[in-house]
Amino acid sequence: MCYKKEYDVIIIGAGPSGVKSALTCSKKGLKVLIIDSNGNSGGQIYRAPPKSYIKKSEKTFEENLIQLKFSEDLTKNNIDTAYNHTVWQVSPGFKIDAFNENGTIQWNTKNLIVATGTYEKIIPFDGWTTPGVIGLAACTILLKAHQTLPGNKIVLAGNGPLLISVAYYILKFGGKVDAIVDTSSKFEWIKSMISLIFNPKNFIQGISWILKIIFSRVPIYSNSLINKVSKKENGISVEIQNIKNKQIKKLTTEVLAVGHGLTPSTDISRLLKINHSYDDLKGGWIPKLDKYFKSSMKGLYIVGDGSGISGAIAAEEKGELAAYSILKDLKLIDETEFENNTSKVIKKLKRYEIFAKGIAKLNATPKSLIENISNNTVICRCEDITKKDIIHAAENGARNLNQIKSWTRFGMGPCQGRTCQYSVAKIASEHLRCNIKDLGYLTGRTPLRPFPLDKAIGDFEYEEITKVEAAPL
Amino acid sequence: MNNIDIAVIGGGINGSSTALHLAKNGLKVCVIDKDSICRGASGVNAGTLTMHMTRAKLIPFAKKGWELWMNTEKWLSNNIDVKKKNGLCLAFTEEEEKLLNERSQIRKEYGADINIISKSEALKIDPNINNKIKCAAFCEMDGYVSANQTGDAYTKALKENNVEIVENFEVSKINNLNNNYEIIDLHGGKINAKKIVLAAGVYLEKILKLVDINIKIKCFPQQLIVTERMPELLKTVITVAHGKLSLKQFENGTVLIGGGWPGKGNIENGYNETIPENLIGNMRLACHAIPNLKNSRVSRVWLGLEAETDDAMPIIGELPNLKNAFIIGSIHSGYTSGPYMGKLLSEKILGNDVDLSLFDIRRLMN
Ligand SMILES: Cc1cc2nc3c(=O)[nH]c(=O)nc-3n(C[C@H](O)[C@H](O)[C@H](O)COP(=O)(O)OP(=O)(O)OC[C@H]3O[C@@H](n4cnc5c(N)ncnc54)[C@H](O)[C@@H]3O)c2cc1C
Repeated sequence: MCYKKEYDVIIIGAGPSGVKSALTCSKKGLKVLIIDSNGNSGGQIYRAPPKSYIKKSEKTFEENLIQLKFSEDLTKNNIDTAYNHTVWQVSPGFKIDAFNENGTIQWNTKNLIVATGTYEKIIPFDGWTTPGVIGLAACTILLKAHQTLPGNKIVLAGNGPLLISVAYYILKFGGKVDAIVDTSSKFEWIKSMISLIFNPKNFIQGISWILKIIFSRVPIYSNSLINKVSKKENGISVEIQNIKNKQIKKLTTEVLAVGHGLTPSTDISRLLKINHSYDDLKGGWIPKLDKYFKSSMKGLYIVGDGSGISGAIAAEEKGELAAYSILKDLKLIDETEFENNTSKVIKKLKRYEIFAKGIAKLNATPKSLIENISNNTVICRCEDITKKDIIHAAENGARNLNQIKSWTRFGMGPCQGRTCQYSVAKIASEHLRCNIKDLGYLTGRTPLRPFPLDKAIGDFEYEEITKVEAAPL
Repeated sequence: MNNIDIAVIGGGINGSSTALHLAKNGLKVCVIDKDSICRGASGVNAGTLTMHMTRAKLIPFAKKGWELWMNTEKWLSNNIDVKKKNGLCLAFTEEEEKLLNERSQIRKEYGADINIISKSEALKIDPNINNKIKCAAFCEMDGYVSANQTGDAYTKALKENNVEIVENFEVSKINNLNNNYEIIDLHGGKINAKKIVLAAGVYLEKILKLVDINIKIKCFPQQLIVTERMPELLKTVITVAHGKLSLKQFENGTVLIGGGWPGKGNIENGYNETIPENLIGNMRLACHAIPNLKNSRVSRVWLGLEAETDDAMPIIGELPNLKNAFIIGSIHSGYTSGPYMGKLLSEKILGNDVDLSLFDIRRLMN
């Protein structure tokens, strides 16, 4: 594709939120670019199968159909797409730097919509880095986009709605779920179901999934966590512990998929130094935004799960609101049209947010999950930082997350803290007996994703780079 | 907090070292920082302990600093990684070869044990460097510190020596009472001390205004780049003739790329921003020096602020027209020599005879 250098609107992230804002903006004639590091639109939830993928089954999921519709709509509306491009830097004003297989590229825009979604939280336990242990959200990608089972026998653990949906898809594919290990109680599930009345579609879907799990006689361990995992000859041994009575049950399985909810991706808003606030029910730290998802920085919007976890349908609504706000600022719609369009969307969004918050309660992190981590368990697997190292830093006087990072190097590796930041904060806040908020969040830094040096430097002549002034003697 | 003999304002390497030596001599000291100890330049710098990049006139001080760094267990603590390495400074063109010869000669005159070696000798010392070099300068006195651990190490040492650490205290007013200074922060907090040491890094200009001294301190925002952990890619600390690269691999496998390539930074609101073109320039230079480096990925980039006076020389010593007030800062390669400079100033404060005339602030005042 031949890109322009400058666009009216640039959207980072081609999930439901990004796509919806792109379509809404382009319908009024704006020149839009949408960027994604994946090979196609769809985001995590509607992720398209890889191009090289040869379909093994005739099954088509509803998700795949939605993805095809996204692609079609984007093409129809002449929206430029930059897939397989990873954004590594965003500077105010806005300059967006990205790389792909061939090298680097920079685009400019006055209006930037960040729709970079969410990533999953995994609270470590003994043996969580054993091969065969994967993320629950990672498991959904294998199932829905790749139509592949991670193994024939699977234990699912953690908490929240993903447990149910992953179990459902595994069963649908003919896999065996050896157990569901959930930190929540059945009573908490029933309580959270009440909020589902705000979202009838998901309610019916949820019930049908639960029924399938019950009919398949999958053992469900409520109020339980994974105590330990170790490698065995034909798979892994999983130790399940009841939080209340501490009883232990051992199982042998092939794969353990574990996840403790989702956390908003705030890499870009933190980099741009937007203020953030903490909201457990929205997944953690979220940027401060107005009701149209506009930030305090002119032209910057943050939509979708990156502005707080609320799911795919709400994500579209957020994307739409941001787009209307841009159209109003650019005087492409007047005040009345803006009011008419947005008031309906805001009402719908409110209902979804009530639903999302109800569900989010299932993802609360029980104290025992943190207490259960042994001192020698690696928390930051990129840099081999253990729970003991984190506690040592707190004991020596480190009082915020950035200071703990500096003293221990947690979060300095390729995952840049995405996997471990939450667990480190939880461990430190339990140890210091302070609120997790008081520890702050990691300063946003470039590159937003690990940046291959060969792509960064491209081809060059030595003479070009030495046009720098020599340091004084 | 009572009976403080000396309050050090600014807990970077310079302030903390001064405080530590004073406390070891029996004084009641407190270190005040607007943030936390060594979270400014001293916690985020490249940690290179090299003579190849040190300003010639500061070589004798950097050498003393280097020696202190190599023996941290004796005076600081044992929880900071310091490694001695060989240092190679590379020249890739004839012009650079000339520059390297000239600069190394001058540094040698000031006491650095630097020698020019041939291409084949250099490749023997570190086979990973680009074989297109013309020649290199070699120095055994080189190495690095994991600067991110500075805060941890100093906090521990200061506490062990009964230094009071006051963090999140941004000094906004200094009252000079008779035999006493009253130090006030943004929220009205107060600390009294008989003597003060100003060690506020890039904020020295601002803090000097509080005692009615006006001099210019320039602020240079500089970028640093670190890779993910890699197998061995280099054995030495690498610099280049014109001084715009510093490169080393830490024990854990990460490679740090520095060299003072500017980013954008604002000391008023703390906002900073990297300049992508400069990152790429710095990375190119690094990959030119160590070609295999290009197979790694950058995992993080950050910025630090460096302070410089008009003549690029440090200010260390007594403040004129004020009693019992001292200053330390704006030291080029200040992380290397900081521990020694702090010791020197502490001796001055203790009344010993030390010659700090080279660093007298009066040269900058008019
Ligand atoms: C990116 C970078 C790389 C570098 N690499 C090297 C290297 O490889 N080798 C080397 O030798 N040197 C290096 N340097 C230089 C070195 O880091 C500095 O010279 C040295 O750390 C300065 O120490 P300092 O104590 O004077 O200042 P700082 O470490 O900045 O400390 C000043 C402290 O004062 C505090 N403060 C300021 N105002 C107030 C106030 N009003 N109230 C209370 N507290 C206040 C600040 O919070 C800060 O903690 C580098 C510098 C940078 C920026």
